[in-house]
Amino acid sequence: MVRYLLIRLLRAFITITLVVTFAFIVLRVSGDPAISIMGDNASPEAMAAFRKEWGLDQSIFIQYFNYVTAIFQGDFGHSMRGGGPALDLVVSRIPATVMLTLPALLLKVAIGVPAGIYAALHHDKSLDRTVMVTAVAGYTVPSFVLGLLLVQIFALWMPLLPTGGTGELSHLILPVLTLGIGGAAILARFVRSAMLEVLGQPYIRTANAKGIPWGAVVRAHALPNAAIPTVTIIGFMVGSLIAGSVVTESVFSWPGVGNLLVVSVTARDLSVVQCILLLVAATMVLSNMFVDILYGILDPRLSNANSEGR
Amino acid sequence: MRTKTGVAVQIARSSDASKRRRIPLSVMVSIAWIVVVLLVALFADQIAPFHYTSLNLPDRLIGPFDPQHWLGTDELGRDVLSRLVYSVRISVVVALAATVISAILGTTLGFMAAHFRGPVEHVILVLIDFQAAMPFLVLSLSVLAFFGTGLPLFIALMGLYGWERFARVARGLALSAAAQGYAGAVRQLGASPRRIYLRHILPNVLSTLIVLMTLTFPEIILMESSLSFLGLGVQPPMTSLGNMVGYGREYMTRAPWIMLAPAALIVLTTLSISLLGDWLRDGLDKGLR
Repeated sequence: MVRYLLIRLLRAFITITLVVTFAFIVLRVSGDPAISIMGDNASPEAMAAFRKEWGLDQSIFIQYFNYVTAIFQGDFGHSMRGGGPALDLVVSRIPATVMLTLPALLLKVAIGVPAGIYAALHHDKSLDRTVMVTAVAGYTVPSFVLGLLLVQIFALWMPLLPTGGTGELSHLILPVLTLGIGGAAILARFVRSAMLEVLGQPYIRTANAKGIPWGAVVRAHALPNAAIPTVTIIGFMVGSLIAGSVVTESVFSWPGVGNLLVVSVTARDLSVVQCILLLVAATMVLSNMFVDILYGILDPRLSNANSEGR
Repeated sequence: MRTKTGVAVQIARSSDASKRRRIPLSVMVSIAWIVVVLLVALFADQIAPFHYTSLNLPDRLIGPFDPQHWLGTDELGRDVLSRLVYSVRISVVVALAATVISAILGTTLGFMAAHFRGPVEHVILVLIDFQAAMPFLVLSLSVLAFFGTGLPLFIALMGLYGWERFARVARGLALSAAAQGYAGAVRQLGASPRRIYLRHILPNVLSTLIVLMTLTFPEIILMESSLSFLGLGVQPPMTSLGNMVGYGREYMTRAPWIMLAPAALIVLTTLSISLLGDWLRDGLDKGLR
């Protein structure tokens, strides 16, 4: 188990390093930030001063080294537009995003898991087909289309809810629905196939043959085993709490991290974009690691097999 | 008693066989819709009644079902139907090219991992993990805005979508193919690795890869339209489905048809391809999930 944990930690570390390097290379090599921030008309002296101030006049390796060192000291640089620390700016947007993504996650689980189980237990009946067709539909509707449709229906045709903005509880309803419906569809498909796989196992047939009531077989044998893969996908969804709502926030002009990302990317605000990238990567990696560990606890066969190295 | 079971078995068998042969109605409709979309993309110049950039300011924001403009016009008097037709072409071209790039890149890396093993395989596996862990939208947003938004670069970037799935599947299939003996037999005959992989292993695993492509294609369309919707994908004056929704959004109250027409098209198309892909995968069932 210790070895299993160490391997997970090492992999998490490698992934984070890759993200840092990727962010650094992409953002620095792509163009001269001095020109894009200052404009073409800035004087050469002003440009040189700007480059010196942001350390852009040094070699790319020194910049990289400085960057990594700074990150380990918790310094993500300053926003080139606002001037304040990038980390503070990004962190100040997190509550708004989580206010959307957390209720959406609950909605996904509350709809997706029962729907998936229900469909699997009624396999190949018309109910199963209805659930699955709805799920495919929910999954193929892009979030911006769904969001705009909801706005069209519930804010414009029937003026019940606001089209965007923040402040009151009613502002939350449409964006949370937009995020939740698509995710619920994905989750329902996943839970159904996990459940069907378990229901096809010999031990279910054995339990059934012993004369245990079907409800008890499902509760005691099918559900716990189908829970293992389900935990994984919910873990991935937890990982996307911060970055999973870029488009939705943009549709509803919600002042969260996703909106900040789009604005910063358009304005080429390097530090902020890097900070968000790293934050997203860290959340994903941490939640994946957490899921892996949970997986190892739920299914001990895995931690033994995986510690042999893959 | 005997005849009864015999009949039952026969019925079971025939219903089994017909299940395998018969294409469900939803899949038939999907295929028909995909064919229509592909034909529209191919013959956009012949189908579109107007050019997609031709302005006609007096005819601004005409509603749908107009004899001249079936789907109405937008804020600059451009025909929505014509713009839709050209948008389909751009979106299909981007998604097709990106799917092919993703499949080739992923399969090559997957085969390389299976062939070289050792450090090469480890590096590729780490890259696969990395790509799978990072939300693609966040990655591509940063790349796009910093390298600019030219169409070739955009297609190349979309070509990175889903490569890790092809790599994973190709590696797994190549490893099991190598264990089956035919690959070893050709190797004994002195074939080069390239020949073994391209002429012998690839044809054997192609069906699985093609199914994976039909599952990746709608996701790339969704990704392309999301980025274009955010204004960071296909740039005007070029038009794509997401881009049309993005600009139509400004006129939602006065002219919802500008946004609804491309939105409906995106949903119908991705839904059709997904239904077809799901059906193909269920028929194939080679551990693609």
